[in-house]
Amino acid sequence: MKAKRYLVAGAATALALGLTACGGSTGSTGSGSSASGAASDDSNCADAAVFCIGLVTDTGKVDDKSFNQASHEGAKAAAAADGGFYKYVETQDAKDYAANMAQFTNKKYDVVVTVGFLMTDATAEAAAGSPDTKFIGVDQFFDPATVTAKNLTGIQYPEDQAGYGAGYLAGLMTKTNKIGQVLGLEIPPVQKFAKGYEAGAKAANPAVQVTTVYHPAGDNAFNDPTWGAAEAKKQLDQGADFIFGAGGNTGNGALQEVAKATGAGDTVFCIGVDTDQWDTVPAAQKCLITSATKELSKSVTDTIAVANKGDFEGLTTMGSAGLAPFHDFDSKIPADVKTKVEKVVSDLKSGALETGVTL
Amino acid sequence: MAAWIQRNKFSVILGVVVLVLAYIYYFSDKTTALSMYRYAWTYAVPLVLCALVGVIGERSGVVNIGIEGQLLVSAFAGFFGAAYSGSLIVGILSGVGCGLILGGFLAWTTVKWRMDQIIAGVVLNIVATGITSFYYKPGQLLPALMPHWSIPGLSSIPLIGEVFFKGTGVIALIAIIAVFGIHFGLFKTTWGLRTRAIGEYPSAADTAGINVITMRLVNVTLAGALAGLAGVFLSMDSTSSFERGMSAGRGFLALAIMIFGAWRPLRAAAAALFFGFVTAAASQLQADQVINVPPQLVGTLPYVLTLVVLAVAAGRVRAPGAVGQPFVKEGK
Repeated sequence: MKAKRYLVAGAATALALGLTACGGSTGSTGSGSSASGAASDDSNCADAAVFCIGLVTDTGKVDDKSFNQASHEGAKAAAAADGGFYKYVETQDAKDYAANMAQFTNKKYDVVVTVGFLMTDATAEAAAGSPDTKFIGVDQFFDPATVTAKNLTGIQYPEDQAGYGAGYLAGLMTKTNKIGQVLGLEIPPVQKFAKGYEAGAKAANPAVQVTTVYHPAGDNAFNDPTWGAAEAKKQLDQGADFIFGAGGNTGNGALQEVAKATGAGDTVFCIGVDTDQWDTVPAAQKCLITSATKELSKSVTDTIAVANKGDFEGLTTMGSAGLAPFHDFDSKIPADVKTKVEKVVSDLKSGALETGVTL
Repeated sequence: MAAWIQRNKFSVILGVVVLVLAYIYYFSDKTTALSMYRYAWTYAVPLVLCALVGVIGERSGVVNIGIEGQLLVSAFAGFFGAAYSGSLIVGILSGVGCGLILGGFLAWTTVKWRMDQIIAGVVLNIVATGITSFYYKPGQLLPALMPHWSIPGLSSIPLIGEVFFKGTGVIALIAIIAVFGIHFGLFKTTWGLRTRAIGEYPSAADTAGINVITMRLVNVTLAGALAGLAGVFLSMDSTSSFERGMSAGRGFLALAIMIFGAWRPLRAAAAALFFGFVTAAASQLQADQVINVPPQLVGTLPYVLTLVVLAVAAGRVRAPGAVGQPFVKEGK
């Protein structure tokens, strides 16, 4: 009786979650102010004159203050610039990737942006099934040998360079010779950040010890701030004085925990990720010395513009990555450290310096 | 005392062994050990509170699947209450208030209206996810940080004092008091005897003159306050922001811990601590790279160990007899 009740409960919960997951939440903006071709709904997307952009997030939200949000803003900007219609779907469960993309392809959207490495396979499959829609995969790479569809492109970023710069700064400034990182799921973009961070720190200071911890669970790896905070606290307790929080809300939890620690901003510091988190996570400003950023918004906007007007076929994009401004910490970082870090970042960009990170 | 030890031989021996091992590790590597114990306790606080909600509910004969929802709404209400009013007290009160209201909702629908308890709980969870996602506004800040104190005297005890009483917040302290208080209440007071009676054999309790309906209503509603505190802890103490879905399954985990703890507050607290420690160990193994295995595999460690312990414990524990069954007074 008892066991059966829990079984029923489990089944009911699973069903309920499944139901809420279907489709996920959506939102849209028609760019009403633009002139001709501006659509206020997506009923005429099949019409060549109407430019429709759809965006499917990974299992995160468009206000996650980092990855999905930046891509979302890029797509929104593109819609505004080209007088298009824009709509997004937030994925609740990885099983819904295909269904969420189908919401757009069924209505003949011109461009579908899929956000996140985890959607790579689903995107390739959807592109093969809907040849009239152009697909842009953020953080995705399609091997031309295996993916033959011409209507898709991936945008990648040199996360290792951004991580390297952040690690280099931490390596130069650490007093305890211990630095840490609290990460989301162990997937290539996150791994590149993490390995770059470690390589940069070791390059600046061979004695430094880097603690690397990924969130263990798949489902909520990017949305578990409580875990991130506890993990950051553990690393601080063990003597780390720099914490790199890279993993959506999980990383944000770590940043906020460091901001609460004694000596935040004086002896312990945190480093944000993806966007300049000085603006997106104000609670972390007390310790946020910089962020390892990817230029997500701009690359999404640019690629959508190419998809609309330009030569889309065979396009591969390598976005750029670097360090965010130091904001209030500008005066606290010694001048020679700043010069060294700036040189490393620009050398990485120009190719004079390699991070040596391999996955 | 001797008789008590005799009766609880297994628990006492296990407790002493664990404590000795904990101190051995503490004195061999103080920094790492202490950071892991502190992690375990931070991780365990919401689980302990939620497991107590489950214990009180099921001891009274009501299954509470909706703890996850209570947790999420309270975390939401606590954070935004504090952010908009500019007062931490208002935040805590609104979080606890929401816990109570949802507890009351669950109690009323299942006890008064005899709705299926599982369905009522699931409904609560879905509503909680929906409401908190819909009304979520990014970019809010807490007016201040939750205060943390060190209890004079107690905090200087090696290990135990440093983990539980040094730099601790009010909710973590309440959790400790609640564990002991509810354990005492359940097994040493009239209220406890009556609660256990209505959960085991409500018609007998009814014959003895206990008002089963009222008692279930009150117990399940008041237990909601603990879920509220756990929610406030999530969004205001252990982190300082609310994120959608931030309860991340802790309400369900608490139910497993309740069973693990054999529906007894002290054992449930021990189980939660054990769970917290294994989670800390999992991340520490990953950080130290002692063993070169993928983190996903290390991350399953707490769950695998729980399965093992549950398998060993199975058969030794028994749920309250009338749990999940609505009470219908004869002749009505």
